[in-house]
Amino acid sequence: MSSFPELYACIYVRELPAQALLRLRPELAEKPCVILEGDAPGQTVCSLNTRARLLGLRQGMTKVEVETFESVVVLQRSVKMEGFVRVILLECAGAFSPRLEDRSLNGIFLCAVDAAGTESLFGPPQLLAKQIRQRIRSVGVVASVTVSANLQTAICLARGLKRGVAIQVVSRGDEARSIAELPVAVLDITGTQAETFGSWGIRNVAALAVLPEKSLIARLGQDAKRLLQLANGIRPHLFQPIAIPFVLEEQVELDFPLDDLESLLFGLSTMLEQLIVRAKSRVLALASVTITLRLDGGGSHERKVNPRVPTNDKQLWLKLLHLDLEGHPPSSSILGVHLFAEPGATSKVQLGLFSPQLPEPGKLDVTLARIAAIVGEGNVGQAILEDTHRAGDFHVEPFCVTTLEPPVPETSSLLCLRLLRPAEPTRVEVHRGLPHQIKFRSRSYLVEKAYGPWLDGGDWWNEAIWGNEQWDVIGKATDSAVLVCRLARDFIQNDWRVAGLYD
Amino acid sequence: MASAATIRLQVESALARRYPSALTPPPRMVRPVVSSGVAPLDELLRGGLPVGALTELVGDTCSGRMSLALSFLSQITSSGKVCAWIDASNTFNPASAASVGVDLKRLLWVRCGVREGMSEQETRKFALPSSFFTPKPATKGLHGGGHGTHPRDEVKGLSAAVGRFLSNDTVNARCAEPISKARPTPQHFEANLQPSTASVRTPRRARIYDAIEQALRSTDLLIQTGGFSAIVLDFGEIASEVVARIELSTWHRYRVASEQTQSSIVLLSQYACAKSSSELQLRLSPFEDTCEERTVFTGLSARAEILRQRFPTAPTNVVPMRKPPQRACDARWDYRASWAGPL
Repeated sequence: MSSFPELYACIYVRELPAQALLRLRPELAEKPCVILEGDAPGQTVCSLNTRARLLGLRQGMTKVEVETFESVVVLQRSVKMEGFVRVILLECAGAFSPRLEDRSLNGIFLCAVDAAGTESLFGPPQLLAKQIRQRIRSVGVVASVTVSANLQTAICLARGLKRGVAIQVVSRGDEARSIAELPVAVLDITGTQAETFGSWGIRNVAALAVLPEKSLIARLGQDAKRLLQLANGIRPHLFQPIAIPFVLEEQVELDFPLDDLESLLFGLSTMLEQLIVRAKSRVLALASVTITLRLDGGGSHERKVNPRVPTNDKQLWLKLLHLDLEGHPPSSSILGVHLFAEPGATSKVQLGLFSPQLPEPGKLDVTLARIAAIVGEGNVGQAILEDTHRAGDFHVEPFCVTTLEPPVPETSSLLCLRLLRPAEPTRVEVHRGLPHQIKFRSRSYLVEKAYGPWLDGGDWWNEAIWGNEQWDVIGKATDSAVLVCRLARDFIQNDWRVAGLYD
Repeated sequence: MASAATIRLQVESALARRYPSALTPPPRMVRPVVSSGVAPLDELLRGGLPVGALTELVGDTCSGRMSLALSFLSQITSSGKVCAWIDASNTFNPASAASVGVDLKRLLWVRCGVREGMSEQETRKFALPSSFFTPKPATKGLHGGGHGTHPRDEVKGLSAAVGRFLSNDTVNARCAEPISKARPTPQHFEANLQPSTASVRTPRRARIYDAIEQALRSTDLLIQTGGFSAIVLDFGEIASEVVARIELSTWHRYRVASEQTQSSIVLLSQYACAKSSSELQLRLSPFEDTCEERTVFTGLSARAEILRQRFPTAPTNVVPMRKPPQRACDARWDYRASWAGPL
C-alpha cells in the first residue's frame, strides 16, 4: 500500500481488570489489591497488582486463601470498567496511527499499531515506543510496548516480555533471534500442541524453529506451518484496522454509599483530570459535562453543566459541578459516578488592544453559579423581551457575553417605570370617575393629574375580558411628597393597585 | 549667561511670598468619566459619572434615580461593555430599560428576594356555560310542542320517587326530631403531618434583610470577577432605616475594589449611606410636573443637586485674592415618556 517499510508497535497491558479499577483510585496505589471474579462461594483471583504479587498472592487463589493475607484490598471485577479502559487505550493508540488492530483477550489488552511511515513524526522506533508508553501512562495505565517489522513477532514478544521490561524494539531481520528464548506458549498454541511439545522436550521457540517443516506438518497438521513461521518471525499478517473510538466517558463505582458531596469531589477531580488529558491530546476542550449519579435504591440523578466557553480548567469544572450539585442534591446516597463529556473547540477569544474589558468567561460561569446559589436559579441572567404588551413581558435567560454590535442609545432622557412585583393594593377615592385621593404606604396623596384610563390585558381574538384599566397619576401629599405612579384597576372587582412607580 | 531654568527659578523665588510656584503648572490628574446621558447633568459634573468609583444617587420614591441610572447604563452598553443591575427589591423593568436604549444582552440582572408563586392573574377568562351553545331539541308531539308533555310521560320516574320518599331515613324521622344524617366516610386518607416542602412564611422585614444580604453578596462576587464596567446596586425601594444599617466597611470595600477594577458602582437609595466612600453623591429632588396642557402623560421635570464630590475643582497652587466664582451645584432637565416622543 505504501512505499514505507513495515513497522508495527504492539501495546500490551497486563492485569487489565486490576488496572481498570485502580487507575481512578490513587489512594489504593500503595496497597496490595486483588480482583475477584465469579459467584459468591467460588470466587477466585483473576487479577492483582504488583504489591499483592510481592506479598505472595497469585491468580486463581480462592477468596478464603486471599483472606489469610493481611491488609489486602479485595475488589470485585467490573467488565464494564474494563470496556471503558479498553476504549481509552485504543483512543490513546489512535493518536500515533490511524490503523489499529485490537487483539485483546480476556483480562489482557493487546493492540497492534501500524507505525509504518511515522518516523518523521515520532522519531525512531525506540522513541515511538517510549512516547506510546508515556501517553498510556498519562491515562493511569501501565503498558509495555514492543516494536518489530513483523506484527506476529511483536505480539509474541509482548506476550513473553519479562516483568520490569517496558519497551523492546526488534531490529529488522532480527525477529527470530528476539523471540528465540521465549517459551513456546507465546506462539498461541492449543493445549494439545503444548502437551505434544512438552513430551518432545521442546520448551522454547528456538527449539521449535529448527524442527524440519515437513515432518512437523506430518505430525501436527497444517497448523504446524503457522507455528514454524511464527517461530522464525516470518509469519505474514493481514492487518484488520478498526474504527478508533473517541468517547469522553469515565465511570467509577464506590465501595460504600456516599452522602457527602465534598468527598465525591475528590473522586470527580481524578475523573475530570483524565477527561481533560484526553481532550487536550486532540487539541479539544470540554464543552459540557454530564454527571450521572447511581443512587441507593436503584434511582439515578443526572445533571449537566454547560459553561459558556469550552474549557480545560479542572478547578473551574470542579467548582461548577460542586455548585450545581449543591443546588440540586441527589435524593439518596451515591453508589456510583459516571461522567460524560462533550468535546468542543478550545475557546477562541481574541482580545484587541482597544477592545472593552469584559468578564473572563470561566470566572463569569463560576460567579453566575455562585450568585444563582444565593438568589435562586432563574433570578440571574439577561432579560429577553417578548413580543407582547402584557405585564411580565419578558423571561430570563442565562447570561453570556455577546459580541454583537451594540445599539445606539436614545438621545433624549426617557422616563422609566419601576414595576412593583406584586402590585401593591391601595385605596383610591374616586370623584366623577377620576381618582381623587390615593392612600399608598400609609400616606395620603391628593391627585393633581390623572391620565387615563386605558384598558389593559386582553386579546381581541380570544374570550378573555378586558377587565383591567390603567391610570397614570401624579399625586402630592400634604408634606410635599410626590407620587407618580401607574394605577391598575380591576373593574370587575373594583380592586385598585399600584402597578409601578415612575422613578 | 544664566539659563532659562535659572531665570525661572529666580522669578519664582522672588514672587514666592505672593504667588507660590507661580511659573510651575500644578500637576493635573485626568479622572475618567462616562456620560450619564443627561446633558445638563454632564455639564454640571464636567463630563459625567466617575469611572472606578462609587456614585450615590439619593432621592425619594419618584425622583428619577432609576431613569438616570438606566440612561448611564445605556451609554456604557452602547460602547460594547457589560454591566450588572443588582435589584434588591425586584422592581427592575426590562421594557423600560430597553426603551431607554440599554442593550439587555449586555446587562446582567440579579433579582434578589424573589418569592415563589408571585405571579398574578392579569386577565380573566370568561366563557358562557356550554348549555348556551347546545341547540334546543326539536319539539315533537301532537301539538308541535309548547303545550307540555304527553300525559303518559307524567308518571315516568314516579315509582322511584315514591321509593325514595319511603326510605328508612325519611320514614324514621319525626317532625320535631332533628334528622341525624350519617357522616360520610372519607374516601381519601389525609396525613396529619404537613409535607416538608410546605413554604414557611417569613415576615416582611426578614425578607428585606435577606434581599439586602443577597444583593451585597452578589455585588461582592461580581466585583471580584471583574470585567463589569458598571454595577448598579438598586436599594431605591428599601427604607432608609434599613439601608442605614449596612456596615460602612462594605462601602469602603466596594470603593477600593471599584478603583482596582475600574468599574463604576452606582448606588440608588433613599438615604446617603456610603458616606465618605462615595466619590459623588447626587440628591435627586422629587419629580415636578412640566405643566403642559395635555391629555396623555408625557413627562416630568427632574432636578439633581451635588451633595458631595470628592474632587470638585482642579488643584491650583495660586492662592486667589478674591472669592473664586462658585459653580452651580444643581441641574434641571425633563424626562419624556417613551410613548410621547421628543419635544
